[in-house]
Amino acid sequence: MLKLAYKALADRKVRSVLTILGITIGSAIILSLIASSSGLSAGITSNIQKTGANILTIRNSGGFFSAGATNTYQLSQTDVSYLEGLAHVIDAYPYYSYSGSVVSGGSTLSTTVVGINLAALPVLYNGLTAAQGSIPLSGDVTAAVVGWDIANPVSGTPIGLHQMVQMTVSGTGGAKTGGTPLSVLANAILKQYGTALSSNVDDTVFISFQAAALLAKTAYFTGIYVVVDNTADVTAVQNTITAHYGSNVRVISPGTVLSSLQSITGQLTVFLGAIGAVSLFIATVGIVNTMYVSVMERTKEIGIFKAIGYRPRQIMAMFLTEAALTGVIGGVAGLILGYALSFLMGGELAGSTLSFGRGGFGHGGVGSASAVVPVFSTELIIFALTFPVLLATVAGLYPAWRGSRMNAVAALKYE
Amino acid sequence: MMNRGTNHPAVEVVNVTKTYRVGHTDYPALRGVSFKIEKGELASIIGPSGSGKSTVLNLIGALDPPTSGKIFVDGVNLRKLNEDQLALLRNRKIGFVYQSFNLIQRLTSIENVEMPLIARGTPEKIRRIRASHLLKMMGLGNKLNKKPTELSGGEQQRVAIARALVAEPAIVIADEPTGNLDSKTTMEILNLVTQMNRAKGITFVLVTHNMEVAEMTHRIISIRDGLVEKEQVLHRLDSFTNEAKAIVPPIPVQPQTREPAPYTSPVLITHR
Repeated sequence: MLKLAYKALADRKVRSVLTILGITIGSAIILSLIASSSGLSAGITSNIQKTGANILTIRNSGGFFSAGATNTYQLSQTDVSYLEGLAHVIDAYPYYSYSGSVVSGGSTLSTTVVGINLAALPVLYNGLTAAQGSIPLSGDVTAAVVGWDIANPVSGTPIGLHQMVQMTVSGTGGAKTGGTPLSVLANAILKQYGTALSSNVDDTVFISFQAAALLAKTAYFTGIYVVVDNTADVTAVQNTITAHYGSNVRVISPGTVLSSLQSITGQLTVFLGAIGAVSLFIATVGIVNTMYVSVMERTKEIGIFKAIGYRPRQIMAMFLTEAALTGVIGGVAGLILGYALSFLMGGELAGSTLSFGRGGFGHGGVGSASAVVPVFSTELIIFALTFPVLLATVAGLYPAWRGSRMNAVAALKYE
Repeated sequence: MMNRGTNHPAVEVVNVTKTYRVGHTDYPALRGVSFKIEKGELASIIGPSGSGKSTVLNLIGALDPPTSGKIFVDGVNLRKLNEDQLALLRNRKIGFVYQSFNLIQRLTSIENVEMPLIARGTPEKIRRIRASHLLKMMGLGNKLNKKPTELSGGEQQRVAIARALVAEPAIVIADEPTGNLDSKTTMEILNLVTQMNRAKGITFVLVTHNMEVAEMTHRIISIRDGLVEKEQVLHRLDSFTNEAKAIVPPIPVQPQTREPAPYTSPVLITHR
């Protein structure tokens, strides 16, 4: 039966290929859209989840969207004490964050300098480990923990363990122009990690909180990380803090970021999926048309089949097999094309979220510069292979039924 | 399948009428036709065009129902069968051979011959064996994988006959089987038909307007104006096959599976 169907399709090559092409394109579009938007969503989710769902970031609201705003609330040790005293809060870690540059072997790399209690790094960044050395536990002012990309620049000399790191830090409270020079010792080189807590760890040099405070010449922090004892209590703690500060600070929780981003990517998926669905629908109408013409053209053949003793349902099955085969070929081709297409699209999506991320979260950006890796779940692949077959078969139903109902004598006379 | 041991005729037509309605006008194609064709006979239906002979063929071929009257094929009353059962009957008891061969152009000889067996779900291995055996018998052993366009008219008709025979039918209905062939090929095909008739005891019904062809058969049913005008039962005419044997080498005859139809003295039955 399958061989007969194949021969029938092969007999009308151009038309069959065009029909299959319609299915292929429709299915490939849907597939690549779903794969890359769920890849985008998964990428964002994994970046956010690295942080741990139990960590809140407190920033003063001024510096967040309007960089130059004055008279903004400043976070200080008072706030740390307040936050530490809240129910369900285990710890509060104030931090300083500056942009800077590392001079290494003649080339200059942009970096983020974060001053924080270095011992807290493994708590704040899930699974963060040192590739070389160990993350210092004491507040040594000369200590530094260096991100992978800074230690291993694309060009220039890598920074070795216990080596001096020469930096220029700009935007510190006391520095005027040109930035403040800073020299620290690389106590640990981090393994590649990616983006978490709205910055790219790999581009970051972590220094001790004490060193950063000296550098800043101010008692005001860039932000405070709050560690909540239980993920379930995060919202409650967030609400308490928001109630206390009002609009003075902004409380960022992984959950809120996640849900808003997921709703955006979800809408994107629905919208793009709808476009694909329309193209598949058009392809389906194309199959109905092709099958109908094919049945009419083969009227005489149907007459022969009837004379030979094919039952109506066998004749119907014959045409439906042809339609289904069209769907199978279109589906497989669509899967391959969709796979290729999704990687192209992944790059585009990465480009667009990069700017979104930078705008919303200061340095780093959630999207990060890496391309979105499309996600082909088993369900998606099964769907991609079965749905076109189902559509094609449904499209073939009416023409096949018409064929099976033909009058044998009239069909045999047909020329 | 062959209903061996029972005594009914291969085809029995009892008082059959067929009226075609075009618009509001009725065209009576058959106006009360009765005849019998015995098992193992090689019969012919003759008549001028428009006489209703093709209608008779469609009716006994179970392709079209009569307006009134009864038709029995191998003892089965066609009126009692639904569409699926009619298809099954065509598949198991009837083989068709057409003037224009009616082969499926995109399929090879062997695939065309296999088609009736596919309909009944015969396993591929058995289909292949039976189809290739038949085609070899027809002298087409080297054309198994050729498509109809690569074959001559006579070869195509032999493929069509193989297709009609592959399901071991009780009767083979042939509508002007030599109408598109030259006289030499006509003799080849007729020789083949008589050999199959004798070797396998298969009943053949030839529809023809060629009197010479008709006279080579055992029974001639003449139809005119929708009625049986004349029915003749003739002697078996061996001379024709001997003549044809000079042209076509004889087909190896299989051991006879059935008694040939009994032939008595020539009878001339004239209706009305």
